[in-house]
Amino acid sequence: MANKKARGPDKAKPNTDNIVVKKQEDAPDIVRQPPVFTDDSKYLCIASGRQVGIYSVQSGDKVHCLKNHSFDIIGLAIKEENVLYSCDTSGEVIEWDINDGKLLKKTSIAVEGLKEFYSFHYPRNGKFLVSSPSINEDGSSLFMFEGKRIKKIFKDVGKETQSIAFGCDQGDGSLVIGALNYQCDGVMVKDTKNVIDRKHMTDKRKFTCIAMHKEKLIMATGDISGRILIWHDFVNQIRPVKTVYHWHTLAVSSVCFSSEAEYLYSGGSEKVMVKWRLGGKRKQFLPRMGSTIKFIVNAPDNICVATSHSDNAIRIIDSTNKINRAIFGLVKHDPIRGLEDGESKKESVMPTGLVFDPRTQGIFFNSQAGFLQLFDPLRDSMIFNMDIANRNVLTDERNTVIGNAEVFRVAVSPTGEWLATLEVWSNMSVGYHDMNLKFWRYDAVQANYELNTDVTMPHHDRITSLAFQPGLLGTEYPCLVSIGRDLKFKIWRLVDDTDIYRQKESWTCDVAGDFRKMMPTATSFSEDGSLLAIAFQDTVTLWDPMTINLNTTLSHNLIEESIELMEFGRDQCFRYLVCASKSSLFAWDVISKGLVWKVGKLRSPIRCLVPDPKSSYMAVVLQNSEVFVFAPSSSKPVHTITNVMSSEPIAALFVPRPNPLANSPEWLVNSRLLIVDDQQEFYSVDDNSVCGFDEKLTTPISHMDSLPWTPFSAIKAQKQISAAKQIVPVIHQTNGIKGYKSVQSLLETSTSTLPPMSRICNSFMIDLMIKHDPKSMTVKADSENGATNDLPTLMNGHIESKMPALKEEATQQKLLTLDCQWITKN
Amino acid sequence: MASFKKTQIRSLPKIGQKVTADTLYWRKLNFPVTVKEFGPIDYIDVMPIEPYFIAVSSAAKVQIYNPITHQVHRHFTRFKEAAYGASIRSDGKLVVAGCDEGHIKLFDIGSKSLLRIFKGHKGPVHRCKFTADNVHVVSFSDDKSVALWDLPSETEIIKFSEHSDYVRAGCVSSISSDLFLSGSFDHTVKLYDARSPTGSTISVDHGSPVESVLMYPGNSIFVSVGGTELRVWDMLAGGRLLARVSQHHKTITCLHLASDGKRLVTGGLDRHAKIYDVQSYQVVHTLDFPSPVLSLGITPDDFTVVAGMANGLISMQHRQTPAEARALIPKQSLKDQKKSQTTYRFRLNADFRNVNRTFNPATDVEVATKNDNSLVSRYDMFLRKFQYSKALDTVLGKYIRKKKPAITVGVMHELIRRNGLKSALAGRDDSSLSIILTFLARNINDPSHSKIIIQVANTLLDVYENSCLTPQSEKLFLHLQEHVNREVEYMKHLMEIEGMLHILLASTTTQTRRGPVNIGQGPPVKVMLPSAAAAANATMVYNVG
Repeated sequence: MANKKARGPDKAKPNTDNIVVKKQEDAPDIVRQPPVFTDDSKYLCIASGRQVGIYSVQSGDKVHCLKNHSFDIIGLAIKEENVLYSCDTSGEVIEWDINDGKLLKKTSIAVEGLKEFYSFHYPRNGKFLVSSPSINEDGSSLFMFEGKRIKKIFKDVGKETQSIAFGCDQGDGSLVIGALNYQCDGVMVKDTKNVIDRKHMTDKRKFTCIAMHKEKLIMATGDISGRILIWHDFVNQIRPVKTVYHWHTLAVSSVCFSSEAEYLYSGGSEKVMVKWRLGGKRKQFLPRMGSTIKFIVNAPDNICVATSHSDNAIRIIDSTNKINRAIFGLVKHDPIRGLEDGESKKESVMPTGLVFDPRTQGIFFNSQAGFLQLFDPLRDSMIFNMDIANRNVLTDERNTVIGNAEVFRVAVSPTGEWLATLEVWSNMSVGYHDMNLKFWRYDAVQANYELNTDVTMPHHDRITSLAFQPGLLGTEYPCLVSIGRDLKFKIWRLVDDTDIYRQKESWTCDVAGDFRKMMPTATSFSEDGSLLAIAFQDTVTLWDPMTINLNTTLSHNLIEESIELMEFGRDQCFRYLVCASKSSLFAWDVISKGLVWKVGKLRSPIRCLVPDPKSSYMAVVLQNSEVFVFAPSSSKPVHTITNVMSSEPIAALFVPRPNPLANSPEWLVNSRLLIVDDQQEFYSVDDNSVCGFDEKLTTPISHMDSLPWTPFSAIKAQKQISAAKQIVPVIHQTNGIKGYKSVQSLLETSTSTLPPMSRICNSFMIDLMIKHDPKSMTVKADSENGATNDLPTLMNGHIESKMPALKEEATQQKLLTLDCQWITKN
Repeated sequence: MASFKKTQIRSLPKIGQKVTADTLYWRKLNFPVTVKEFGPIDYIDVMPIEPYFIAVSSAAKVQIYNPITHQVHRHFTRFKEAAYGASIRSDGKLVVAGCDEGHIKLFDIGSKSLLRIFKGHKGPVHRCKFTADNVHVVSFSDDKSVALWDLPSETEIIKFSEHSDYVRAGCVSSISSDLFLSGSFDHTVKLYDARSPTGSTISVDHGSPVESVLMYPGNSIFVSVGGTELRVWDMLAGGRLLARVSQHHKTITCLHLASDGKRLVTGGLDRHAKIYDVQSYQVVHTLDFPSPVLSLGITPDDFTVVAGMANGLISMQHRQTPAEARALIPKQSLKDQKKSQTTYRFRLNADFRNVNRTFNPATDVEVATKNDNSLVSRYDMFLRKFQYSKALDTVLGKYIRKKKPAITVGVMHELIRRNGLKSALAGRDDSSLSIILTFLARNINDPSHSKIIIQVANTLLDVYENSCLTPQSEKLFLHLQEHVNREVEYMKHLMEIEGMLHILLASTTTQTRRGPVNIGQGPPVKVMLPSAAAAANATMVYNVG
């Protein structure tokens, strides 16, 4: 059956112009560059991608968003009161008015031979400090721009912003510049006024960061052993006096002086900010800051400190050492370390993938270790960040990696009421692992998820997939299937556990099964929830989810590789089961039980296989960031996009639109495709007519259903009339071929033995009819008022209507036997 | 940012009896006071008003006990043969009893005098009751008849002879003086209305000889017991069967209401008394007795529970008063109490305040409960300061390791997570090592803890592998090994049995199912647990060896 000559994606037509891939800009990385306080300490300027956000320190709200750069910003600096410099990688420097967010001046510092820049500093006397790539690939050279004059200060300095510091501005134009060299084993110091050059080398401990006080001649360096050195008189002395401050066990990632040089702030991967009193023994700690500290910046008037964290948050700490405000971007998940070999990048970067939440139209995916976030793709905002593991986040020790409990799989029930999460914690060095399957129920009154059931070690080995049964729409108790590496699949059901003391429901394992001791690799439910497919390596098995009876086993000698991804088609393509192995893509027809098509030898391994919930199309994303959109009924792609991104895609999802988009390809009418790469940047595949992520909502989305009653809610209309189509649960009635049996018997019996046509005609026609509820049928016939055929009508009277009703029953029986046949017959 | 999160103590739900409000309530009964009579205790009736005297009929006498002093207050011995079913009038002044010769005798409790004798039954009268108006008596006799007697005139008003066997059970309505119920050995329960002398108004079939019947105060439901079944009938619906409950495994002999009519108590020959919720007919608690229970009496305030047994024992149990409960806790002087009130924050006891006490019947599922307690435990304090040895020491205290091993295991789990177990276990002296070893040996068999305990034991072996041990510790290590070996043996046996069961199950299911299906139809997570423990145990044996 496999169509070898099917036109594969390779021969697809080229990109059409109206489909574009856009990188998401509105929820970007806000911690790539250190933030900058304004002179009056009222605002915090944060560079994120190509734009600058001005945030109020008091409220933590965004005041302005400055957009004009066409490249990523590499540095921010305050020129004078209320004027901000920003510089991008191409060397374009823009002056902004902070108060009204207006662009004042645009200049470029790029000159011949200096086209690309790494970091930008402004020591406040009309001089720029810029580092640019040097001949040596690992390092960079530091240049000073003074008007038109360009002076090379150091060569071979580190690329990072933290490796350059300047200070000692005593009002007489003196400037001391310090920099770490790119091997991080030495500090280079230059006094520009007295023209002194020094180089101080260290022992084995490499430096990680450097800071200098603005006015005093004092310098601090942090190193990989967690030691902080305070250097005194380092310009004149060859062997300067150093003070050692050592508390950190891991590398120090940032140090910062307070404006009077009284205190020193330091932070690193311990997630603790330490406030040292210089010259004294005392130190204060601010522990459990949530995530690794990347930068610490002190406000000019010492009122607060801002810390940038690796989870894409900036926290503002007030003078009493408490977190006052936090500015969040989209939380980024720290890649999981210490996974076994052979795990894909997705398992480390975003193990949950993207999971659509039908209740809020949001997407669930990993945030910090043990957390899960819900992201609203329409508004580009985080709805909430939820603690799944409820454990203290542990930090590494100096030579050992200590893992945290991580959320590995998430599944949402079709109504969004239930959330199943799998958290895994493993310590490979000890050979011990832990797994918890948690079931959360959404409480509409409290507007949050409540933990309902917590199962410790649901499988003996890692669960590879979780799926809720769709199609029931809350009428029956939902069911979840989990497959694990212990060769088992388990069906979990909600059971009523109410007794006289309390009302309670909880989830328990209903059935645990296996299949020929083969590893289950993927699972999928058909759209109406009537069929469960589980792939065991190269074999697909179809089960009845209610009784867990094996219906069919599908395998073919063309398929040798283990199936990694599997999805049922939607809508008109409900009968196709699309499977993806490492390098091939194929589809089974579950009704005729045949292999429909196969596309082998793909250019790159398949990363994601995503069905569109609003149409019958599916998308496949390859590792080399090629995207093919196809209908499961044929192997010919509807659309092909190459080079979506330069990085590696790890997850994708079709996101429904609030309003259908006219004049666009059919697969883009109701939804658009979101792809995430290994840097956790979002890309949207969308029609050109839509302005990407700036798509404004034309209908306000009401949260009334989920909110408690208030006097204001009474103002809202009780009923809203809408022309929007109501979602009706899909139930496929056309299982099997109608009247197959009677046609077959008609064809097989010889004409000589056939009974008269008038006798068999009636039953033959009934067999071909689609079954209807007899009751609704009568009503319909009645309303039409012209029913004179053999269908029962109320007008025909009591006795006559009885006979056809009996016949109807018989038909139903026949249909039932027919339904079973296609699935039991091999 | 985030505050320190407490160490999660995972306690699996206990298998067996659940701790509920009812079990706690009924567990508060004191140790019983027992009195030995000569014959089996036929019937116990409790005076409905204070001082709640208890009328006990056994052998040829009726005795009225004082429930507080447990002394006989009055006894009536004017019976030639056995006396049956003595019952006290609702005002507490008169007592009526049936006897073997077929008479019904009425006594005055105050003066002990015999006031009336109702003659007319041809067989022994086993039950007799005052009606709600207090001037009539209903009697239930072995001559298959039920009779209503007038108290002042000493005459029989009506007699119903509808049963075909002994009538051994009966009761009257508490609000209507005309309604009464009889239960007979002919399996039927009949409801009579004195106003319709033609016959019974409702007759239902219980299915086995009826031992006792009871009408609910609201007059809408009645209950009958007999055989091993309790049946509940709807009176208003003409005797519709509402519920059938079979919780005893021998004949149920008696019935009583308790807790203001919210609970129903049945006693049976299987030496248990079961307490049911009257709405759902679920058993909420079980009381055990040393001998088959024939009769039960419970005072209206639930203060005293009296049970009469087949060997003539009467057991009287009182509810603990708060003062008694306090006195039961030993070694806590007034000074200590005062101290505990003021400085309880610093006591180790604080550790147990946040232990989950909700239980779930499914054994493999943990119930999520919220820990609202903001009190920081000592072990959490040490964990927060990364003092792993001290944290482990805290949870190895005598009370925690013996009574709350889940806390000890929880902290060990957290130490494994933090990679701090090795350092917490290392460098221990002989006495603390022996505490750990004894704890491990004691808990390694527990399936809910074994995974972590095995990990701890392996680490302990790694740490002390090459060190010189005292003979005492060596002995304990060998003891641990012995435990493990024994557990492995058990697991082997269990797996053999499991295999046998699988064959049986498979042979029954293959007839109904086709194809190469291999499904354990029901083995839930829990069933699989021991085998994993066994496998892990097996690896540990290698290490020991």
